[in-house]
Amino acid sequence: MKPLTETEGMTTTADETAANPVVGIDQTKGDFQYKVDYAFDAGTGLTEDTVRYISSVKKEEPWLLDFRLKALKTFREKPMPTHWATKDLENIDFDKIRYYLSQGQKPKRTWDEVPDDIKKTFERLGIPEQERKFLAGVEAQFDSEAAYSNIKDIVAKQGVIFVNSTEGLREHPEIFRKFFSKVIPTGDNKFSALNSAVFSGGSFIYVPKGVKVAQPLQAYFRINAENFGQFERTLIIADEGAEIVYMEGCTAPKFSTSTLHSAVVELVALKGAKIQYITVQNWANNVFNLVTKRGVAHEDAEIKWIDCNIGSRLTMKYPGVVLKGERARGEVLSIALANDGQHQDTGAKMVHAANNTTSNIIAKSISVGQGRSTYRGVVHIPKHLKGCKNNTECDALLINTNSRTDTYPAISVKGDKNATQHEASVSKVSADMIFYMQSRGLTEAQAMSLAVNGFINDLARQFPMEYSVELKRLIDLEMEGSVG
Amino acid sequence: MPAVSTTSLVGSFTQEAFNTHLARVSHLPAWWLDRKRAAYGRFVALPMPKRTDEGWRFSNLSTLTLDGFEVGRAVPGTASSSALPAAASLTYLNNRATARTGDVPAGVIFDTLQNALLKHGDLVKAHLLAQPSKLGSDKFAALHEAFLEDGAFIYVPKGFEVTEPLAVYHQAEGPGSAVFPHTLVVAEDNAKVTVADFFASTVGGVLRPDGSSGHFACGGNDLYAGHGASVSYIALQDWSRDTLSFQFNATVARRDAKVLSLNVHLGARQARHESFSQLQAPGAHSEMLALTVAQGAQEFDQRTLQIHQAPNTSSNLLYKNALLDQAKTIFSGLIVVDPDAQKTDAYQSNRNLMLSDEAEANSLPGLEIQANDVRCTHGATSARIDAEQEFYLESRGIKPAHAQELLVFGFFEEVLGKIENEALHDALAAIIRNKFKK
Amino acid sequence: MSQLVIHDLHISIGDKTIVKGFTLTIKQGEVHAIMGPNGTGKSTLAKAIAGHPDYTITSGEVLLDGGSVLAMEPDERARAGLFLAFQYPSEIPGVSIANFLRAAVQARMTEGEELDATGYYKRLYAKMDMLKIDRKFTSRSVNEGFSGGEKKRCEILQMAMLEPKIALMDETDSGLDIDALRIVADGVNAQRKSAAAPGIMLITHYQRLLDYIVPDFVHVMHDGRIVKSGDKSLALELEAKGYDWVKQEFAAANA
Repeated sequence: MKPLTETEGMTTTADETAANPVVGIDQTKGDFQYKVDYAFDAGTGLTEDTVRYISSVKKEEPWLLDFRLKALKTFREKPMPTHWATKDLENIDFDKIRYYLSQGQKPKRTWDEVPDDIKKTFERLGIPEQERKFLAGVEAQFDSEAAYSNIKDIVAKQGVIFVNSTEGLREHPEIFRKFFSKVIPTGDNKFSALNSAVFSGGSFIYVPKGVKVAQPLQAYFRINAENFGQFERTLIIADEGAEIVYMEGCTAPKFSTSTLHSAVVELVALKGAKIQYITVQNWANNVFNLVTKRGVAHEDAEIKWIDCNIGSRLTMKYPGVVLKGERARGEVLSIALANDGQHQDTGAKMVHAANNTTSNIIAKSISVGQGRSTYRGVVHIPKHLKGCKNNTECDALLINTNSRTDTYPAISVKGDKNATQHEASVSKVSADMIFYMQSRGLTEAQAMSLAVNGFINDLARQFPMEYSVELKRLIDLEMEGSVG
Repeated sequence: MPAVSTTSLVGSFTQEAFNTHLARVSHLPAWWLDRKRAAYGRFVALPMPKRTDEGWRFSNLSTLTLDGFEVGRAVPGTASSSALPAAASLTYLNNRATARTGDVPAGVIFDTLQNALLKHGDLVKAHLLAQPSKLGSDKFAALHEAFLEDGAFIYVPKGFEVTEPLAVYHQAEGPGSAVFPHTLVVAEDNAKVTVADFFASTVGGVLRPDGSSGHFACGGNDLYAGHGASVSYIALQDWSRDTLSFQFNATVARRDAKVLSLNVHLGARQARHESFSQLQAPGAHSEMLALTVAQGAQEFDQRTLQIHQAPNTSSNLLYKNALLDQAKTIFSGLIVVDPDAQKTDAYQSNRNLMLSDEAEANSLPGLEIQANDVRCTHGATSARIDAEQEFYLESRGIKPAHAQELLVFGFFEEVLGKIENEALHDALAAIIRNKFKK
Repeated sequence: MSQLVIHDLHISIGDKTIVKGFTLTIKQGEVHAIMGPNGTGKSTLAKAIAGHPDYTITSGEVLLDGGSVLAMEPDERARAGLFLAFQYPSEIPGVSIANFLRAAVQARMTEGEELDATGYYKRLYAKMDMLKIDRKFTSRSVNEGFSGGEKKRCEILQMAMLEPKIALMDETDSGLDIDALRIVADGVNAQRKSAAAPGIMLITHYQRLLDYIVPDFVHVMHDGRIVKSGDKSLALELEAKGYDWVKQEFAAANA
């Protein structure tokens, strides 16, 4: 567990892009790597010592080390969920992963202070520019820790807290401990247990009563090291009547070996609060992306997950909302694009726990080449509730003859005072539509891109403008080479 | 802890019970007896369903038991039933053929399975329990095969059309009686037939839908439709309310064949139904329908699989449940479109009508699609009676109770309306109406 | 002679008041056209009088032959003699028109009284012929898969069979082509000539319908109440000047 000593400059894996134009193209933006010296390295493999190392580096209190060690035990005891999930999970070799890499635990408050090699990465990804343009605050995580974290003064003055999880624990223990691991208990699933054992980084956000943050807060998650596992932990609390939009982006260079990303994200929307959580996941297609995301919406609160999955080898992610207070609203809008060699196993969970709560799920997936997209959903309306409603729509678009899609919803309703409605459809792009556009001079690929963008248009419009433009660009890139 | 772990793997269906059964059917062909022995071996070896089995999600496993039963004994009573309009009928009581009525055209076979095994062994062998169990009940399907004593065999040769329905009454009597009914329908190329299975409990050989004791019913049916054939199959399950019931269906539809199966579920305390349709050649169509009236503490657990194995096939599934009291239903359906089955048109719909605040409806409508030029949709809804529809009826002066009744029967009629034979339709509608009004 | 008296009626949906002091008396045999721009409360008025549970009558009175209907359930109002011809009739899968109408006719008979099936079908077929509805429709589910015109004809068929004292016809002309409009109008006019001619509140957005069903009175509704009344020439004036004219005049009068 000693720091690495690598002195090389930059390497890129752009050659692989040329070798595989379909999968590679979308990663051009994220597919590069600057070699970095890590001051802290937990080594390869997962033992109690790994957990102790992470905890000591972070100078954590004993209760947290205890929490982590218990989680490690839970992780080991839980079987892989392959009785319902893909067998591909068995290809993750937990002994070959590096669980903690960082240059330090305290993020910088200005870009000038960020070490050059890391700063170059984020500049190339356009983060500082976006921050200036339209964000209320940014946290940029590089492997295990945030390298940069800052919030605009005007927002900070309203009492909004936006720090990484280590700082959150240290500086705001009274809020952090109250909500931490309450929405997603350690044993929720095997990967939430893993995250609980080795988590590092992620955002801690608290928005005080009645404060409505006008601009989004953004987090950017970057995996730079090979054979690495990123385990950020995000906790967002919107106090009564508060409103917040949080956006996260993710990239990694494309390595020949697999990388693991396993985050836990917990949201708490207190009475009348609104949280919108937007993800554009564009991991390289060697990343196992196994994420647990859930929010609790109290009385009259609203939680909306906008979840867009384009990259990764396997994504398993089912953002959920527990509708705990009367009239709470939950929403999941999901877009998934699975290209060759990719499996997007995504969906949503809606647990109704109070009267007159409503939930809405709209999931659209696109399977390209031999890509596979899967929707899994849970809608649960237990006994003695009334006035609860769920609406679920899943639409799958299959681009090539051997593209694949699956739909596995589970809807459980008790009593005669609630209503649920689930509809799903599978279709391909109509040949007539493509012909019509070609007859107006578009190439087949352009026509296909337009058709695909049309398919997700009503969802893409819900993204902030900057993101929906980016999304359209990513989809255009993915669609290139998919026809013919 | 669920009681499953304490229930023995064989319960009442011991080696001794199996030997006794085997002795009763020792006159049947050796290949069949071999299959039964192998099936019994599988039954013994297979575990009971576990909570983590995806095929048993939401099912109540603590009440699944193999204990306290006895293979149905001979009881007096030979009365044939006339509950359904039919050209001919066969009646079984506790696994034994007891009566037959009517006639079938020459060339068509409508006989007991035992006779068929002796006289038409090759035909039976090709189709009887020839499809795999894919929906979770391997153990109970093996039990069915092991203890299957007799059933009905319907064979319609090439080009024959049997216009009037054929009815098979499977009856059980006596506390704890275990019955293993089976109906095998083989329609050769361009043949046409309608078959109705009626499962019910009797007392003294007389139909007693209520008041009878509970049974263990573990039945199956195989439907085979050759090229251009048309098979309509109706199963009306009305076992006594203490019965534990399993029904396994396997449907094979060949080129341009049309199969319609309608399962009406009324009886039993816990009823599991598995229906497996294979669309094997272009033009094949399967219409899978079910209607359930769930009352009291009944649990109806319905699992379906529609596999499209060839291009240009279609299937249409409509499962409707009306839930009263503390009843519980589970619908788990899967449409599979194989990689080359382009131009598949598949539909799957589960509608739950919630008529009580304590009822529970679970829907798991699934799709696995591996071809892109397809039309596949599914939908699931759970809701009470539509308020706008109710207002519309009431605004015409119809009293609320009557308006609700009209809407509930309208809900059923969407399924029943697919039965072409009017007399059969009316008979089923009357039985369901009766059940619902109680 | 029956009559419906609507007095100073206020209707709200949730927190929003839609109808704000509507007053009108309709006598049997009269046709009152209610015109007005969209969103002015015309449909709300009709549905609320029929007893739709989504609408709350916050104040005012609706009297049918002197008795209040407001405490009555929708089916009781219907049996008392009110009829609502829906703008968007519900589709009712699995319930045939024959069964549905028989249930409605039976609901009006006293306990123990038997429906004369032969007489019932004779009457039904006669009305269907008049409305040019194919007799096969009797076995079809109510409104299910019907075209717009078929739905509206089916509404008039029900009105003819149930012989209400007062009919509230909500945008009966919407979605109809000229041929369908003529058939529907003929059906209504035939009932106007019968001995048991109902009083009709004819809600419409366009003057066109009034060429076929000539009203005795025309009322212009704006912002939840009647702002102008006249004879059928008012409809023509409206057609010529448009609803903005009413809005301006009304605004000026209130200024």
